[in-house]
Amino acid sequence: MLEIRIHGYGGEGIVTLAELLAAAAIQTGKKVQALPSFGVERRGAPVKSCLRISDQDIWIHSASYEPDILLVLNNKLLDSATAQGIKKNGRIFLNSPHPVETAFSSEYIDATSIAIEEGLMASGVPFINVPLFGAFAAYLDIPFFCVEKAIADKWPAMVAIRNTRVAKIAYDTVRGRG
Amino acid sequence: MKTILDTGCHIVAQAAKSAKVDFVSAYPITPQTSVVEEIASMVQRGEIDCRFLPVEGEHSAMAACVAAAATGARTFTATSSQGLLYMHEVLHMASGCRFPIVMANVNRGVFAPWTIWVDHQDSLSQRDTGWLQYYCASLQEVFDTIIQAYKVAEQIKIPIMVNLDGFVLSHCVMAVQIPDQEIIDRFLPTVEPAWRFDPQNPTSYVSVTGPDLYEGFRTSLHQDQLKALDLMVQAAREYQELTGLYHGDLLDLYRCDDANTFVFAMGSMAEELKLSVDILREEGIKIGLIRLRVFRPFPKEAISKVLPEDATVVVLDRNFAFGHEGGILFSELKDALFTRRDNVRLLNQIMGIGGIDLTYQYMAEQVKNLLGL
Repeated sequence: MLEIRIHGYGGEGIVTLAELLAAAAIQTGKKVQALPSFGVERRGAPVKSCLRISDQDIWIHSASYEPDILLVLNNKLLDSATAQGIKKNGRIFLNSPHPVETAFSSEYIDATSIAIEEGLMASGVPFINVPLFGAFAAYLDIPFFCVEKAIADKWPAMVAIRNTRVAKIAYDTVRGRG
Repeated sequence: MKTILDTGCHIVAQAAKSAKVDFVSAYPITPQTSVVEEIASMVQRGEIDCRFLPVEGEHSAMAACVAAAATGARTFTATSSQGLLYMHEVLHMASGCRFPIVMANVNRGVFAPWTIWVDHQDSLSQRDTGWLQYYCASLQEVFDTIIQAYKVAEQIKIPIMVNLDGFVLSHCVMAVQIPDQEIIDRFLPTVEPAWRFDPQNPTSYVSVTGPDLYEGFRTSLHQDQLKALDLMVQAAREYQELTGLYHGDLLDLYRCDDANTFVFAMGSMAEELKLSVDILREEGIKIGLIRLRVFRPFPKEAISKVLPEDATVVVLDRNFAFGHEGGILFSELKDALFTRRDNVRLLNQIMGIGGIDLTYQYMAEQVKNLLGL
């Protein structure tokens, strides 16, 4: 079973991100679980969500304390996310304008810039979860048609076309790095 | 059969839709979950031929459900924690009137102090309202149990509460298989009630009843509760035959066959406990899991049948029986096994109160501690 813990700030869309990743992963024939952290939701407060992808039925209902991968939506959360636990040989995937040195194998995507460049904004706030979805799906080796399907199921056609395009840019960026 | 990936709350709404409910009334704000929001959307989109009545509180919601059920409508509602407590008076009315209402309750701890996280205090404190109670351990079981609950409720004419853990199940996204509507319709046909209230021709119902008759009504409610045990088993089996989906009937047993030691619990923690059992088995402990699916009626004989002579049972309670030793499941089980002549040993721990996270490693550890290992 692959366990991923997602860290972000309330309002950045981590619940949707976890659901999209689950929807893409299930297309590959896996069992999935997206389990948001349980709090009184507040915009701007640190929030987390757990994603499990498994070949077998998932019986776990508790939170993720030692995930295989940390998916961190903001540089500022990196230390606290790591301090909350990660497997010894775990990996980190970060939304960041540049690569970041960590004690773990790390990969990054500049999802914020992609969102801004592609006009994925509302009230001046970039929607980073769509490019992050594409980028992280590539990192997990999920085929792009699964990403496309998850987006098509989530949004009405016009929005889905735009989001698919943005997700593809991020997907190809990570793929391009091999 | 199709597979949908959604939150527990939306799965509850999907089950209400698949059960073709005619009437839903609910208070739509916290502690309510997105269950009724989703049902309202389904009604608005015309996906479901149902009247949705939002009201100003849970007391009114259940009163509206009772009135709707009196007209023969298949009736549904959902609530959680304080909402359920606020319904308390009308819960007695619903069961006393013998209306087959089904309600989903998202289990959360109760005030005070304020909490929004899971434990089983809310529904367990409704134990003596005359309602039947199921507890689910997975989203698939939530869907299947709501369908089964209508079958049982309409046969025995007693309302049923289907419980699912707050956040852990209600807000968790997992895949659920939805059987074809034609299969569900075959399992759950529309039943014409023996009697129905006609709003065009009003009559009085359940008016003041003297001691000569009152006790008889209450006794029959009690006796029929016990009869529901067989119906619940039948419903689970028949549902399995039609859909292939099964989560146990009154109990869900895991690795119990050669066990001399048992863990006894309910809700989502009891699914994760399967992994605890695996750990303890690897350490050579002959342990199995008894997950209680049905709390009311309490399946006393079914449990006793599983336990060999001098068995040890570790009861894990996500609730308090205030002013009494241990938790409510512990008390119930002790009571259920009182007539056994062997030396069954019962151990108890209260855990997971107000949303304390229960990992399988932690629970395995606690079980070992209780066993003195």
